[in-house]
Amino acid sequence: MQTLIPHNADESRRMMQSLTNRAKPVDRRPMNFVDRLYLPAVLKGMSITFGHIFKKPPTIKYPEQTREFSPVFRGLHVLNRDEEGRERCTACGLCAVACPAEAITMEAAEREPGEENLYREEKYAARYEINMLRCIFCGLCEEACPKDAIYLSETFAPSNFARKGFIYGKKDLLIPNPVTQPEEYAKAKGKR
Amino acid sequence: MVIHIDNKEYNIKSGKNLLEACLSVGLDLPYFCWHPAMGSVGACRQCAVKVYKDENDTKGRLVMSCMEGVKDGLYLSIEDKTAKEFREQVIEWLMTNHPHDCPVCDEGGACHLQDMTVMTGHDYRRFKYKKRTYTNQYLGPLIHHEMNRCIQCYRCVRYYRDYAGGDDLNVFAAHNHVYFGREKDGVLQSPFSGNLSEVCPTGVFTDKTLKEHYTRKWDLTMSPSVCNHCSVGCNTIAAERYGELRCILNRYNGDVNGYFLCDRGRFGYEFVNSENRIKRVIIRNRAGEASTEEELMQHLQPLVSMSKIIGIGSPRASLESNFALMQLVGKQNFYQGISEDEAHLNRVCIDVLQSGSVHSASLKEIEQADAVLVVGEDIWNTAPMMALAVRQAVVKTAGAEASQHVQIPVWLDSAIKELAQEDKGFLAVLNVSASPLDELATHAWHATPDDLSRAAFAIAAYLQPGKLQADNFSEELTNQAKAIGEALKQAKNPVIITGVSSYNDNVIKAAFDIAASLNTAGRKTGMACVMTECNSMGLALMDAPAFNHAMDSVRPNGHATAVILENDLYRHLTPNLVDNFLNKCDHIIVLDSLHNSTTEKASVLLPAATFAEGDGTLVNNEGRAQRFFQVIPNADTQVKESWQWLWKMQMLRSQKVNGHVLHPDELLQKMETDMPQFKGITSVSPGHDYTIHGERIPREPHRYSGRTAIQANKNVSEPKPFYDGDSPLSFTMEGFKGVPPSWAVPFFWAPGWNSVQSVAKYQDEPNGSLKGGNPGVRLLQDKKKENADLFFKDVPEQFVITKDKWLLLPKFHVLGSGELSGYTKALEVLSPELFAIISPKSAEALNVKEGDMLQLTDAGIAYGSLPVKVLDNMCDGVVFVNAGSRGTVGMNWGTRINLAKVN
Amino acid sequence: MTKFSDEKLAKVQEIIARYPDGKQKSALLPVLHLAQEEFGWLSSDTMDYVASLLSIEPIEVYEVATFYSMYNLQPVGRYTFEVCQTGPCMIKGSDDIISYIEQKLNIKPGQTTEDGMFTLKTVECLGACGYAPMMQMGKFYKEHLTKEKVDAIIDECRKTAAANN
Repeated sequence: MQTLIPHNADESRRMMQSLTNRAKPVDRRPMNFVDRLYLPAVLKGMSITFGHIFKKPPTIKYPEQTREFSPVFRGLHVLNRDEEGRERCTACGLCAVACPAEAITMEAAEREPGEENLYREEKYAARYEINMLRCIFCGLCEEACPKDAIYLSETFAPSNFARKGFIYGKKDLLIPNPVTQPEEYAKAKGKR
Repeated sequence: MVIHIDNKEYNIKSGKNLLEACLSVGLDLPYFCWHPAMGSVGACRQCAVKVYKDENDTKGRLVMSCMEGVKDGLYLSIEDKTAKEFREQVIEWLMTNHPHDCPVCDEGGACHLQDMTVMTGHDYRRFKYKKRTYTNQYLGPLIHHEMNRCIQCYRCVRYYRDYAGGDDLNVFAAHNHVYFGREKDGVLQSPFSGNLSEVCPTGVFTDKTLKEHYTRKWDLTMSPSVCNHCSVGCNTIAAERYGELRCILNRYNGDVNGYFLCDRGRFGYEFVNSENRIKRVIIRNRAGEASTEEELMQHLQPLVSMSKIIGIGSPRASLESNFALMQLVGKQNFYQGISEDEAHLNRVCIDVLQSGSVHSASLKEIEQADAVLVVGEDIWNTAPMMALAVRQAVVKTAGAEASQHVQIPVWLDSAIKELAQEDKGFLAVLNVSASPLDELATHAWHATPDDLSRAAFAIAAYLQPGKLQADNFSEELTNQAKAIGEALKQAKNPVIITGVSSYNDNVIKAAFDIAASLNTAGRKTGMACVMTECNSMGLALMDAPAFNHAMDSVRPNGHATAVILENDLYRHLTPNLVDNFLNKCDHIIVLDSLHNSTTEKASVLLPAATFAEGDGTLVNNEGRAQRFFQVIPNADTQVKESWQWLWKMQMLRSQKVNGHVLHPDELLQKMETDMPQFKGITSVSPGHDYTIHGERIPREPHRYSGRTAIQANKNVSEPKPFYDGDSPLSFTMEGFKGVPPSWAVPFFWAPGWNSVQSVAKYQDEPNGSLKGGNPGVRLLQDKKKENADLFFKDVPEQFVITKDKWLLLPKFHVLGSGELSGYTKALEVLSPELFAIISPKSAEALNVKEGDMLQLTDAGIAYGSLPVKVLDNMCDGVVFVNAGSRGTVGMNWGTRINLAKVN
Repeated sequence: MTKFSDEKLAKVQEIIARYPDGKQKSALLPVLHLAQEEFGWLSSDTMDYVASLLSIEPIEVYEVATFYSMYNLQPVGRYTFEVCQTGPCMIKGSDDIISYIEQKLNIKPGQTTEDGMFTLKTVECLGACGYAPMMQMGKFYKEHLTKEKVDAIIDECRKTAAANN
């Protein structure tokens, strides 16, 4: 059987195949007089530069303007409420078990009589924490959730001076109440 | 015999049903109503398989595998298309009414119904109508009821009524509105109700105490543990999350508790999370009482190195801790922290069990006994799981007898029940007062301990005529002895149960005489002696003098230091005795996990680990040494196992600082060499460095979630997982995957089997032993019968009731009696108030009625006064005082005291 | 306080005497029938009373009484229509009969008319499949039901009731 293992550096270079056909051999001829003037090259360069004045700019004026997100963009997590403003999360733990970074943890509590306006079902998350330093924004938590209680929004994780600030608790994650704070709710909800 | 399952040959034990056969060879077959401990009824239709006439038969017929026995050369198919479709269809109709509330259901993730639904492949709901709904009931503080989830498998009532003998849970109505519950809201009366949460294949009955701090099974860190609340030593799984003990689950041990636990054991765990825990080193009588370990060592240096040290051991501390204390103070200065009387009784128990004349019976052996005699021990209240085993013995004997006459296998539950009707195996209960066990008994008789022992001696005299002076027994006693003796003679595996709680050594001696007389060729006789605490047997085996002798060894101004190990002395001994001793000592070092009357007297208080934070070994009343493993990491706290503290003190004393880290297995090794009675103790579990293919055994299931978030609110930088150097188990989810050795099973799980039913994958066969043998090592080896010549001949005089003196005895309560279990709020609610309990005749003699106050005095000791409770079915001349509960004090049990009405 | 008349009590004793000693629980079904005859329906008080007569636990009475549809655990009207809804009757149109009665009397199965005359119940097979659709009214079977027949039955009931008052 023929072996393909190179025995030395030369041989290995010879055996190496180019990955694309776009390789351009470098022109190594000595420069002539015109070349040495540099003027044509400068003009060529300037024409490209000034040409862009008449083109549509690819950048936007962030943060006054924001860019359209892809419909599958996955940003910061939001803990959702239903239309009556009750928390949807029942602390079932499926998001936590689905999380490949193991960055979600929660503690469940039983809803007491009189709290029906706060929590949608008889159990809720008393504590819900995501370690955003660990989160890889894969969206598996959203996929695992049987209650539509968690989804990934269009917001980026903001910068912070302390690592501690990236441990997001319920107050950071919970969406504003649509009944009492409709504007904030609409803003947080985004276009989804 | 050989059977063919899906064209593969398997060797199967005869006498099984097809479902058991399939499960025992490791195949997956769904089922609901069948339970290994309760047999088959064929109610759920879930375990259908195809059975073929012979190898050429291609058509076959559908049968319920739990209802058909194995036959040699049988052909069956689990994978057959019709059988599979049938099973899927059964699940589909069960699911028509089952709510889709798994996210809020406590059973989710450990649910047999979930597992079976996935196993059959049913995934789409076609039934589009409304589901039927029910009103739930309040079933007390232990069990939560959610009837909508019910799939009508009838396991709950079969367990509660038939297996555990409860009568307040039943099934109502018919058709599609069958209801399982009580007649009205109220607390479930059976002390074995907690098992409903494991028996129910779905979430109808769930653990209410877990609801307070709910965690999914996959998120729990779990360890093999041993129950702390009585001397039976049931195997448990302790489960932790966020540094808190979340629940206790049953850990199957075929020789001990099998599939079940009592409510004290299951729910009595909350003391671990109590606010009353000692979490810091406390050095009293100085400015800052809470101290660091360094300060402690400086403080202890003169205490341990100069003066005389006296060690007081504990019946609830592990063997390791007791032995480490013995090592620290020296054998001559080590005392048992129990009364002289109790130590004596424990000694008698050990002497008779080690005499070689009898075999110390395990719970399994009691369950399989065909005749049981209980003498002088209220096992319903002092060893609940033993009472449950006795119940099985009585019911199963009747079933086995019935099945012999007709061709019906014993696992065919309803047929056997129908056949046996109200027939029962033989049970005689000779006790001071009535207990629920009496209902099952062929003979129930109540008398004072002395008279009980006379009755037992009379039986022994009947069994071995000539050996005992038989002429001073009354006719009644002789007749009774004849009846009981005759029944015991008929039996092949009789068991005699006795114990220390009647505070009378004659009771134990007489019980032994009976057992020894029965232990003849062709008969296997067992004997069980119930003790008071989880390691009473272990402590007693160490053969140290009782507390009373510690008193004598301290001279006034002898500059003694007392080291008291995990023991509230005021519970075991009379207050004046303890005060006397503690006043004589210059320094009192106490190691304990909870504040109590004894820790209040401590000058130095060390935070000891409970069973959840430490490793150790306990010896149960059978003489079985069993290891428990740490489940709560204690790296951030000062809490340490007592043996670790004591080792540090010993290093101080010997002024050796060699940095050696002590492991429990080293202590046990030393113990084995020093004390021959502990031979074999090192094989309870292998050393701390044991691995399987280089891997340790993970305490966390592989689905454990939130690993990088769980500590993040405290410490963002994620410290490395807690390393437990004491055992071969690790505090992570990495490590050996598969069935670990039986002594190290932290949880039951198998692919496709998330519920507790996965235990079948860890067993040789359903209801059999765990793979590789049940855990635990029996320290009381059966010796050869030849050297047995022990026989007690001193029959006590008849008990004489006097006018002014009453025999003081402890009254235990199945849920309430437990120093530690009392910290569980739910159990505290269910435990009785403190009473002085007397018979109607005694009440008449004292001229008191229920609710009046009685003054209790004993030769100078005033026990205070207690309200009177009058109990029928107890003997005269005795006064019971509730014992064992939180806040009760030690009394001179078994002595005669004065009673007087308080006006 | 629910209590049998002396005559009925004697009857209860007679029923109990049919069974061996200690098996008095066997008398439960006939005694419940007796109680239903006497008190019209089985309230929990009545069932507790029956339990005390047979010296068994109340829960054992509830278990049995809830099982059989023949025992009324709620007050019923003067006439009870127990319409069979099992397969054969259903094929022959019991659903229509039920909905016709519902409509005519303005009650749902399990309910009683406001005047206390009629109770509608649906039951499982009454063993008269040959005469489907059918229902039981007290001690009588009403067979081959049609809407007209139902009308006639209801009218007749009303008439009898009026005549008796």
